[in-house]
Amino acid sequence: MKVLVAVKRVVDYNVKVRAKADGSDVDLNNVKMAINPFCEIAVEEAIRLREAGVATEVIAVSIGDKSCQEQIRTSLALGADRGIQVETEGAVEPLVVAKLLKGVIEKEQPQLVILGKQSIDGDNNQTGQMLGALTNMPQGTFASELVVDGDKITVTREVDGGLQTLSLNLPAIVTTDLRLNEPRYASLPNIMKAKKKQMDVYSPADLGVEPKAHLTTLKVEPPPERKAGIMVASVEELVDKLKNEAKVIS
Amino acid sequence: MQFSFSDEQDQFRAIIQRFLREKSPTTEVRRLMATERGYDSEVWRQLAEQLGLPAIHIPEVHGGSGFGPVELCIVMEEFGRYLLCAPYFASSVLATTAIMNGATAAEQAELLPPIASGERIATLAFTEPNGRWDATGVELTADLAGGDYLLSGTKSFVLDGCSAELLIVVAREPGTSGSQGLSFFRVEPDAAGLVREQLQSMDATRKLARLTFTNTPGILLGELGSAAAALSRTLSLAAIALANEMVGGAQALLDSAVSYAKMRVQFGRTIGSFQAIKHKCADMLLEVESAKSAAYYAAQAAADNDSDLPALASLAKACASDAYMHTAASCIQIHGGIGFTWENDTHLWFKRAKSSEVFLGDPSYHRELLMQNREL
Repeated sequence: MKVLVAVKRVVDYNVKVRAKADGSDVDLNNVKMAINPFCEIAVEEAIRLREAGVATEVIAVSIGDKSCQEQIRTSLALGADRGIQVETEGAVEPLVVAKLLKGVIEKEQPQLVILGKQSIDGDNNQTGQMLGALTNMPQGTFASELVVDGDKITVTREVDGGLQTLSLNLPAIVTTDLRLNEPRYASLPNIMKAKKKQMDVYSPADLGVEPKAHLTTLKVEPPPERKAGIMVASVEELVDKLKNEAKVIS
Repeated sequence: MQFSFSDEQDQFRAIIQRFLREKSPTTEVRRLMATERGYDSEVWRQLAEQLGLPAIHIPEVHGGSGFGPVELCIVMEEFGRYLLCAPYFASSVLATTAIMNGATAAEQAELLPPIASGERIATLAFTEPNGRWDATGVELTADLAGGDYLLSGTKSFVLDGCSAELLIVVAREPGTSGSQGLSFFRVEPDAAGLVREQLQSMDATRKLARLTFTNTPGILLGELGSAAAALSRTLSLAAIALANEMVGGAQALLDSAVSYAKMRVQFGRTIGSFQAIKHKCADMLLEVESAKSAAYYAAQAAADNDSDLPALASLAKACASDAYMHTAASCIQIHGGIGFTWENDTHLWFKRAKSSEVFLGDPSYHRELLMQNREL
């Protein structure tokens, strides 16, 4: 079984992002970038499937300029077998990403596609679902457990109020939740081996897609700074302020 | 010399940093330093199995990754930055280097694979209560009796000496002195006549032990009486690794001080805007960067098998010791009163700075070695 995993280059989760002075976007100058944590979970799950003998090949795909090859190499160091970069310029919207991934799926014909449920930069949570709609493949989103059994896959989903278990026919699309697994760390020998693994580069035209912008960012601004707290003289005063100023109790 | 880390080395460093951020926050450091063993075996297993760190500079034929001192020093620098509580310096630096330099190929093939996989933790016991960090300080003797070597004497300041599962002991033939008659012996932790006691030290993040040997059986490693050169090279490499660990710690203190200076407001402005604080931060940066240059240069020299290695090791160790101590002291000063409290983390690095300053020889000792090496 061939598994395709989508990985996205995002700002490292430890970095406190800042808005550009003109409010046009987030400032990415000299900011540490990393693989999106949910995508890393997707890579780990695909590698575990291969180690369990369920998958035969794991392909990591990323979309972006040349710098996203770094995240593909990270996936290869973690254990993916080969990489694909779809070279685009500037930001790409979830719909364009889904269309490009559909193009890769048509070329590679994987039986399973695993994506992160969302990226920590846009927080859109759209690509997996759009890809499911475009490819007409069954989808199991927010997976916290995944079991492949023959030509079916059982996906346990974390939903409001509990867990939902779905059985999907393969080929299928799965998006990962935080608790699916704990990703491994790459060792230096595997980082060195990743250098030699195959990486193909496609353009959107190769996949029959013309990237279009459907969204316009109007403004990016930081959240308002928290104001300093005040000391109250008594419990009565506190209750009064909570009732009448903050209006959080009645 | 043109020196810079490769993309792969940078990526490796970033992965170690991430691992340590998750596994060695100061809350963990504080928890582990209060334990007798001093490390978390689950974290040790993970760093061995997933990251392969104990194997990093062990040859591939012995189950290692086959990298060299530069990669080892990247690991050490990051361990120093995050104050990881683990027997890495004892096992993967001191004992492994001693075995690689002093044991025969067959002995290496037997001893190195379990160390590389992290299954067995080893340490090197060479310092004695006289506190000397060179071959002349070795007084523990190995007597040949009935075809077996029996060790008698005391080793002190042995890193992870109570938890190690394999002891590499430096002993001398009776009647010899100086660098003559020195040999490496392997001693099992449950050997007859061996008493291991934990020492109370200022730096609780590192566990030190005193080992007393009374006719304790030891198995000779390498050739009898020819360990002086191997010990000298082992100590040079250990000094370089320690220097790299120290610059990692010094950088952590610099980052902490600068971050606090930017955040702390006094008299209506951040304290970092006062010239007195700016000067301190600039001096810290200068010292840390200089010490880094010396430590990196020495690591590269070790990788190149440079004939100047002993001098460069002493230079790196002396520079790093001074830089770490000054940075630690300045960091406390910049933090002000809070920097002197138990709750603030600065003292953890301060104590490590102090213990590392004297471990393997203090700066004066290494400057003296450097001068002797240069025949000055």
